[in-house]
Amino acid sequence: MLRYITSRLGQSLILLVIVSFIGFAVLTLAPGGPLSQFALSPGMTQEQIAKIAAQMGLDRPLPVQYFDWLRHLVVGDWGTSYRDGQPVLAVIGSHLFATLLLMGTATVISVSLGSAIGIASALRRGTAFDYTMAVLAMVALSIPTFWFGLIAIYAFSLQLGWLPAGNMYTVGDGSVLDYLRHLILPAVVLALVDVAVWSRYMRTSTLTVINQDFVRTARAKGLTRRRILFRHIVGNSLVPMVTLAGLQLPTVLGGALVTETVFTWPGMGRLFLDSLGYSDYPVVMGLLMASAILVLLGNLAADLIVALIDPRILLD
Amino acid sequence: MTEKKNATFMNRRQAISLLGAAGVMAPAMIGRDKAFAANADPSGQLTLAFSQEPTVFNPLMPHIEVDEGVYYAVFDPLFDFDPDGNFFPILVAEVPTVANGGISADGLQWKVKLKPGVTWHDGTPFTAEDVKFSLELTMDPDFRSFRSTGYKFMQNITAVSDTELTWEMSEPFAPMAAILASTYIIPKHAFDGVADKNTAPFNNAPIGTGPFKFKQRMAGDHIEFEANTDYHMDGPYLKTLIIKYVPDLNVMYTQFKSGDIDVIGLQYISPDHLGEAEKLPGKVVKLAGAATFESIGLNMTKPQFQDPAVRKALYMALDKASIIDALYYGVPKPTETYMPQQSFYYNPDLPKHEFSIEKANALLDEAGWKKGADGIREKDGVKLAFTNSTTAGNHLREQAQQFFQQTFEQIGVKVTIKNFPPAVMWGDYWMNSEFDSVVVGLNCLAGADPDTSDYFMSTMSPIRGGSGQNTFAYQNPKVDELLVKGAASFVPEERKPIYQEIQQIIRDDLPFLPVFQYALIKGWKSDVSGVEPNVNNRIDTWNVRDWKRS
Amino acid sequence: MTAMTTEPARRPPFLKSRALRRFVRHRLALVGLVMVVLLSTACFLGPHLLAYDELSIDLRARFAPPFSGAHIFGTDPLGRDIAARLFHAGQISMAVGFSVMIIATCFGSVIGVVSGYYGGRTSAVLMRVVDAFLSFPSVFLLLALAAFIQPGPVMIALIIASTSWMEVARIVEAEVKSLRNQDFVQAAHMLGLTGRWIMFRELLPNAIGPIIVAATLTVARAILLEAYISFLGYGIQPPLPSWGNMLNGAQQYLQSAPWLAIVPGLAITIAVTGFNFIGDGLRDAFDSRTQEH
Repeated sequence: MLRYITSRLGQSLILLVIVSFIGFAVLTLAPGGPLSQFALSPGMTQEQIAKIAAQMGLDRPLPVQYFDWLRHLVVGDWGTSYRDGQPVLAVIGSHLFATLLLMGTATVISVSLGSAIGIASALRRGTAFDYTMAVLAMVALSIPTFWFGLIAIYAFSLQLGWLPAGNMYTVGDGSVLDYLRHLILPAVVLALVDVAVWSRYMRTSTLTVINQDFVRTARAKGLTRRRILFRHIVGNSLVPMVTLAGLQLPTVLGGALVTETVFTWPGMGRLFLDSLGYSDYPVVMGLLMASAILVLLGNLAADLIVALIDPRILLD
Repeated sequence: MTEKKNATFMNRRQAISLLGAAGVMAPAMIGRDKAFAANADPSGQLTLAFSQEPTVFNPLMPHIEVDEGVYYAVFDPLFDFDPDGNFFPILVAEVPTVANGGISADGLQWKVKLKPGVTWHDGTPFTAEDVKFSLELTMDPDFRSFRSTGYKFMQNITAVSDTELTWEMSEPFAPMAAILASTYIIPKHAFDGVADKNTAPFNNAPIGTGPFKFKQRMAGDHIEFEANTDYHMDGPYLKTLIIKYVPDLNVMYTQFKSGDIDVIGLQYISPDHLGEAEKLPGKVVKLAGAATFESIGLNMTKPQFQDPAVRKALYMALDKASIIDALYYGVPKPTETYMPQQSFYYNPDLPKHEFSIEKANALLDEAGWKKGADGIREKDGVKLAFTNSTTAGNHLREQAQQFFQQTFEQIGVKVTIKNFPPAVMWGDYWMNSEFDSVVVGLNCLAGADPDTSDYFMSTMSPIRGGSGQNTFAYQNPKVDELLVKGAASFVPEERKPIYQEIQQIIRDDLPFLPVFQYALIKGWKSDVSGVEPNVNNRIDTWNVRDWKRS
Repeated sequence: MTAMTTEPARRPPFLKSRALRRFVRHRLALVGLVMVVLLSTACFLGPHLLAYDELSIDLRARFAPPFSGAHIFGTDPLGRDIAARLFHAGQISMAVGFSVMIIATCFGSVIGVVSGYYGGRTSAVLMRVVDAFLSFPSVFLLLALAAFIQPGPVMIALIIASTSWMEVARIVEAEVKSLRNQDFVQAAHMLGLTGRWIMFRELLPNAIGPIIVAATLTVARAILLEAYISFLGYGIQPPLPSWGNMLNGAQQYLQSAPWLAIVPGLAITIAVTGFNFIGDGLRDAFDSRTQEH
């Protein structure tokens, strides 16, 4: 087990180096740069920009900049943002809560709703309900998240005026209810794709479980449907879903980025776009690395949890 | 120049007059000293929204417009411009002029008297040493400073006493006062023992002398300020000031409408919402001029733009009225020059733009530009085809671009649109004049001073080996000569004809096709008072000390 | 709920429902095919039938609502006909989709077949690279790439392709690995055929089913991704229309001209749904092991 974890972590490290190399190359080889934003300031001159660039070390050869960055990264120094001079980890940290809140709520929605639909479809397979859900899931997977967000804003904020069109809370209010009101639309929009994915996988997983011996045994013992459903089927069908949750992380993270844009949600996606706009390389790199790490750890954790729940799975 | 004469001319931006003319300025009614007015207890909270996020809190470091929104709350400059272009004192006892002996007659010796009894937010007394420190830090080669213009002439800064400061200038430089007006003073003691001033803790926890104390920042969302009850001027009247970051103009407008935002700041209400906004109950919506002008800038090193007839024809084929009236809902004002119409130096007698496709075609025919088989004009192997670039995602500008692309086609000119994200657009592509043509909004002035050497002096073009902002690569020896003359003169009435002539020459040469001067649609709740547009300042909070809620 | 208790007794109807299900599945694929064909026809023929072209500006006719006159889908802020732009955009979006499919499938197949055939260290390295790409949230990577290049349709297609080939690579690798030790490959070795011949003439054709399924789904995904990055302003730039960049400016006019957002969004949804339906049907058709659950 320990050996497995170390080897997985080792592989992940190599992956991270590759990721960082690609990211850094893409960002720094491109034209433009973090000082462009000052170009239009009154009185800003080419000379002054060159001077600032030299002070920030931006005139050094790229490989030197890369290895310097990597060397600091290894000892836990992710650099400082070009925009506000804060450590990158602090910058990311200050946006983490908003993203986790959004992703967490969306996951709760998609897991509960998706599982319910999946189990119901499995139990009623072949019925009109099952097919409708199958088709709906496929359509849901095909709708662009941001467009769904726009339509939701149009309907619920602009036309009906029920919910706010953006932001995480009202400054000066910030009560739980206020957060909730702001959270509903983006979370539902973000959950849409995942509800579809979960319902499909849950359906498959439930069908596998239904046909297994212990369910038949339970049924033969004359246990009630409800008891069988909740004691045996639901629990066991959820096991493979843990892996799915891990695998879905990059999708949810990417979706969060787009959703945050539409709903002006102050999370990591918003930060990423802002940082891209200002060519704030340290933060962009930090976010790329953080999301890659999050995804790798998510996958690893999912595998480990499955192994713990289900002793039949042997790691190595 | 007599006192009397000066007073007659004291209309708009006579800012610089104070330096040379013997004028004594009546104290402005804004920004009064605390001693003059009873200060009620600050009360209430106000939320001001910006569509960009302020992130740089050390005002001497490179920053953008929106960051200055925070500076005016937390810091003070020595003195500042009021909406009419006059200086009013803030940290100084009086604005230095030749008349009051603050500036020597040759403009080389400066003496500044500071207000006594001013304290920093942490209680430390504010002294001349702080001003000296701020000015010297700006010149420090190891410090990432925002500007060098003007400062390179400054030397021998001496704190004579706690309230008096002197320095010398190696050359007379008229725009220096305007530069000082946007130099915010920071505390020396916050940098005691700090090795690298670029990363001082102060940079994220600013301490100023301004009307509000920096309380806390929720990154990506808002910054909270609380009233500085020991403020040395009248105000502040608000207990809490919130600067909120709302990255989307539509959301910002919706929140203004719903009342979540009290004052709608930078980037303001988009022109398509003006009609509706004006009818909103309980809101004040006002159009305010800004010093920025929109133009189609031409790269004067490109063969397509060498012939003056081409530039004239392009300008004639530009349907400015449709762009302004239809796309911008008639909000901005058409202009023929880079100088804001509110300026004392504005030249009102420039030839008026005339839109005529026929005349433009005739002009090009006459100049020998013949249409080829593809309908594109050509002369001596040069095709009238070029790219036009601007910031990708600026929707109104992109619409204008596509619109003139189509009208230019009617005179046999092919425009290819090639837009970039901001970091690419305004990087080397702009600075090193790699573009053919651009659509750009520029403010060439420092405050109310008319000097624009950085933008139009031939030696200021990076692509021609210069180091300024003359990215159109414009060169005209006469303009060079006038610009030098203008910057060395301290007398507004002498400078006025110089800068009016420059505007005339540039209007004839057309290194850029002027489209309009910006107008911003500002809005606030009707129970908010004190918000006042100021064309000489880049940001709304210039007088946040006076803002009130009733 | 009744399904469960009667389960053991339902064997024959179960078979029946399986047939029914297959039928429906294929009907879905058929629906998908119809959707895609109709949309493509509209996109490629439509522009010739309309009285307007996608670039002609008429400021007097700005913001005409749909079905209100000569403009069936209304007009945009420059008074251009949305229908004309929609169809033209469709050509571009679909062209991007198909280009991505071709590039990603070819590249993914080569990586997959090489990795599966040689195994060992080659496979380990290649598959780690695949993992590296998969561990990026692709929208992050796409934006980072698109933010710094000249964003034309070709570059956008290349960028999307660079984040879309991993699925194919994995599928092909798994397939090839399982075939590698089979008799016909051994026989080919004995005949002295080159590795390249075996990989591309013997092994790859055997994996063609899953590749086609993955390719179809890649088209759907590419159309979606193009819309994402163009919506965020880093994709295809106006005046060239794409479904994504038509939506880019739409948020601003959501209140006053909602059709600017609704029309292109519907087109994207129809196209992507169509391709997903087809892909789903193909999966059933190709996969002989499809187990009815």
